[in-house]
Amino acid sequence: MVLLEIRNLSRRFGGLAAVSELDLDINQGEIFGLIGPNGAGKSTVLNMIGGTLAPTSGKIIFNGEDIARLPPFQRARRGIARVFQRDVLFRSLTVLENVLAGSSLSSKSGLDGIFVKTPSARNREKEMYEKAMEMLRFVNLVQQADEMAVNLPHGNQRALCLAVALATKAQLFLLDEPLTGMNNEEIEAMMGMIRTLRDEKGITSIIVEHNIRAVKGLCDRIAVLDYGKKIAEGLPREVVANKTVIEAYLGVEGSAV
Amino acid sequence: MSRKLLIIITITAVLAAVIIILPLALNSVYWTSILVLIGINILVVSSLRTIKLLGHISLGHVGFSLIGAYGSGLLATKLGLSVWLTMFLGGLMAAVLALVLSYPFLKVKGIYFALLTLLTAETLRLITWYWKGFTGGFWGLLKIPSPGPIVIGGLTIDFNNVNSYYYLTAIIVAISLFILYRLENSHLGFKWRAIQDTDVLAQSVGINVKWHKMLNFTIACFFAGIAGALFAHFQHSLSPDANARFGVLMSIYLVVYMVVGGESKFSGPIIGTVVLSIISELARGLGEYRPMMIGAIAIVFILLIPEGLVGLPFRCKLWYRKLLRLTQRGSA
Repeated sequence: MVLLEIRNLSRRFGGLAAVSELDLDINQGEIFGLIGPNGAGKSTVLNMIGGTLAPTSGKIIFNGEDIARLPPFQRARRGIARVFQRDVLFRSLTVLENVLAGSSLSSKSGLDGIFVKTPSARNREKEMYEKAMEMLRFVNLVQQADEMAVNLPHGNQRALCLAVALATKAQLFLLDEPLTGMNNEEIEAMMGMIRTLRDEKGITSIIVEHNIRAVKGLCDRIAVLDYGKKIAEGLPREVVANKTVIEAYLGVEGSAV
Repeated sequence: MSRKLLIIITITAVLAAVIIILPLALNSVYWTSILVLIGINILVVSSLRTIKLLGHISLGHVGFSLIGAYGSGLLATKLGLSVWLTMFLGGLMAAVLALVLSYPFLKVKGIYFALLTLLTAETLRLITWYWKGFTGGFWGLLKIPSPGPIVIGGLTIDFNNVNSYYYLTAIIVAISLFILYRLENSHLGFKWRAIQDTDVLAQSVGINVKWHKMLNFTIACFFAGIAGALFAHFQHSLSPDANARFGVLMSIYLVVYMVVGGESKFSGPIIGTVVLSIISELARGLGEYRPMMIGAIAIVFILLIPEGLVGLPFRCKLWYRKLLRLTQRGSA
């Protein structure tokens, strides 16, 4: 089943086409890799799916609905979660509170909890707390629940980013270079978590990543962008062996220095 | 848990008792008037801090107080409406203006937001200055009535009396602070903090950042308006002079009260306003040098105790440890 259809998606900055006439189909429950040389337009695509950047033209159809013109928070409410490139976390909140912030949209918190703590508001809070702890268990951060999020080591911060995204109950994760700046051990752990997300929770992921070896091992399918155009798509094995892709990365034989 | 509750109840009871007894103990119209103004300022500074929860600093909060003050004052003098109603309407007018302005204003952050609010307040002040036929212009708006007397069980309370007005202010400010406190500690306040941290992540977990910013600013300005209305019906006259209530200097004082008190805690603006107002009052003999003194205090705090008065215990501990280390090294 197709979860996300991208049709004819373009984004121009002035006269420059960062992404042009892109078509992509992302299936439910797959890990989809988006790769390409620097400046190929990978992050631009991710930003357009997430909603932080408006497309110049084209459609982004998620669960049958065109979301291309919706603001980011509306897309989040429909089930798209962003995991940002840098450690974008709520800096003044604890690890647990970060996850609670992530789940805040799914909780139908009304005005009744503000002035008087009604039993239903209290129950809701307890429920949210328990769910948040479950997310932390998933990313192995239960012990650090009450630490400030910014005091975690880099790898753990990225794991927390996943937990925050998970707390939004998203179906689709957009991961912007999730492995950057990690050591091998952390990379393994992160890849394991992304796989578990797919296998246990049926979560679909789109990953933009430079680490080709990791992408090859992790992704079910890959698309390669170059100068804002899709030059290849398919199984990782096929794509990496594709002649056009090799040329895009390494330059045409003979022309490179 | 119950022990914590007991402490809170005790502190509240003691505070309430002090607030009730104070004007009777002071027995001075002058000092009670000062207390009324402190109460009003506490509300303005606390509502300023509500905006700060989003990371925004308003340098034009007096502008919304001005709307509340002139709005309520004009409705009462020109239309003869009940002051009880006009005070609320004054707050509402400030809120409506804030709601309208929040849409363009909250697109920017930091210094830009501060400048926009500053210029708005100055514009509003100058409009009241030049619009002689409506606002009284630079002569000011005069003969603003007090709230009408109320009768409770055969007892008539007349609000021309400074003590009754003091109690009225105390009640309104207390209720307003309670509302602001509960908002801050609710899921709304939680989302506001999240937005201050990173609005990019906040919106991508589904928080409607724009709506929350507008809501926050509107609520804060409503209370600034209420404070303005309280001021108007206490003073019975309003002046648009730059050196009076609605000038730039006052806006800056409000920020200084907040910073010196400490913006990290709800009690910060309250403590800051009380302490600085009393210091300022006691230093009345300094005359025109008073603003300089407040400035000096602000500088000392920013450099030495950036957490403000609420962070003083923590700072003292730090200094004590440092001192201990120094003396140990000296004796070794």
